[in-house]
Amino acid sequence: MTTFTPIGMSATKRSFTAALCLSAAVLAGWPAFAAGASDTDAERLERWQEISKSIFGDRKLEPTDALIKVDAPPRALDAALVPITLTMPEKDRIAAIHLIIDDNPSPYAAHITFGPAADPSEVKLRVRINNYTNVHAVAETKDGKLYEAVKFVKASGGCSAPMGMSDEEALKGAGDMKMKFAEGGAGKPMEATLMIRHPNFSGMQMNQVTRDYTPARYINKLDVSANGKLVFSMNGDISIASNPVINFGLAPDSKGPIKVVAMDNQQGHWEHSFNTPSPSN
Amino acid sequence: MIRIVSAAALTLFALSGSVPPVHAAGPADSPVNVPEPEGFWTGAPKGYTPKTLKGATVVDIDALDSLAAEKPVMIDVALADQKPAGFPTDRPWLPAHRSIPGSVWMPGAGAAPMDPAREAQFLSRVAYLTGGDKSKPVVTFCHPECWGSWNAAKRLVQNGYSRVHWFADGVEGWQDRHDTTILKVDAAWAAKPAGEAQR
Repeated sequence: MTTFTPIGMSATKRSFTAALCLSAAVLAGWPAFAAGASDTDAERLERWQEISKSIFGDRKLEPTDALIKVDAPPRALDAALVPITLTMPEKDRIAAIHLIIDDNPSPYAAHITFGPAADPSEVKLRVRINNYTNVHAVAETKDGKLYEAVKFVKASGGCSAPMGMSDEEALKGAGDMKMKFAEGGAGKPMEATLMIRHPNFSGMQMNQVTRDYTPARYINKLDVSANGKLVFSMNGDISIASNPVINFGLAPDSKGPIKVVAMDNQQGHWEHSFNTPSPSN
Repeated sequence: MIRIVSAAALTLFALSGSVPPVHAAGPADSPVNVPEPEGFWTGAPKGYTPKTLKGATVVDIDALDSLAAEKPVMIDVALADQKPAGFPTDRPWLPAHRSIPGSVWMPGAGAAPMDPAREAQFLSRVAYLTGGDKSKPVVTFCHPECWGSWNAAKRLVQNGYSRVHWFADGVEGWQDRHDTTILKVDAAWAAKPAGEAQR
């Protein structure tokens, strides 16, 4: 059996953390195993290989610091609401992106496929994080190749954090939506923020009074289109935070109405249309 | 005997300057002066916990690091992640319990009330891990604001262990300074106690 030796470990672990921070700062987007070869790195790499195999099978993933970047606060204030920014600088090559939170029990947080009405240069969303973990972003290019980037995020307890209200209260108004637009200027993509009221119950949240687990109820499919052309389609998961908020870009020539179709795993189905703002000049 | 190792707890006591009031066993609505329950805590498993545990030592990460040289028996009683009912079969469900390296993970061992056979199994497992020496240092932990490890420590105090330590900050307090490792449920604990097979 392994012995408990925190003293002996602290020096190496601290330097590991330091190395990781350094690698995050200097080599933003590089996989964690570049940080060094401690047991922990090996364990995290093994974990990632297990997950990526379960999602991508035998397809090869190449590290990238150009095609996709994943950004998150190094230390999240609220583990149930961790903002993630995915940046795809070579947007014209991007067909889809995958977001994976390695140490969440359900690691595959989101799969987003872009359509012709999208500007896939940036996507922001908010997730739950269960433990200090690597967060992987995988870009799928139009020629069918996969590229991975990683960021270590410090947060914990997000998947099981209760919502602080009754289930009925949390479900009130589920499916209500709002959309905000920010114009990028002439020829620039328009940025849109979609907000959906939905508790996105993870199924891992215990009702503190009855000690039953609130059944999982979460948005598992989200389709956004502009005037009939697909912007993006997302497969979501229990790792998406309650009251999902997603920022995305619309291709410069995309005009409204923007139609959103959201579905949850309990046969919830909601549709809303939003008009894009008319040019101000 | 009450020994408070945490400086933060000392400050809290200095500020309040009085004995914590004892009131009914509803969840505390403030982290300050949470009273110790008479016996085990049987209320909601998550909530503000006391800064003390009669008969045990409350340790923070500094105290735990100092204790490490004595190789205490580390007992993690955190609950396992609950797989949501109806979780889609085409998505990966890969729970990984990250914890303090070298710990023995007995999820739910801080439950109260606890089935007597299960409690006996817990005690016999701890007896094995301590080599039958009730003066060997033992540390219980789970997560912050988790009563399970408080109860588990209480259970050991009641059963004559003289050097019980409660690490209230749990895995989160640990991972702030050290790295964690993925643990499997203790094999002996995973096996149901004799006579419980049909449960």
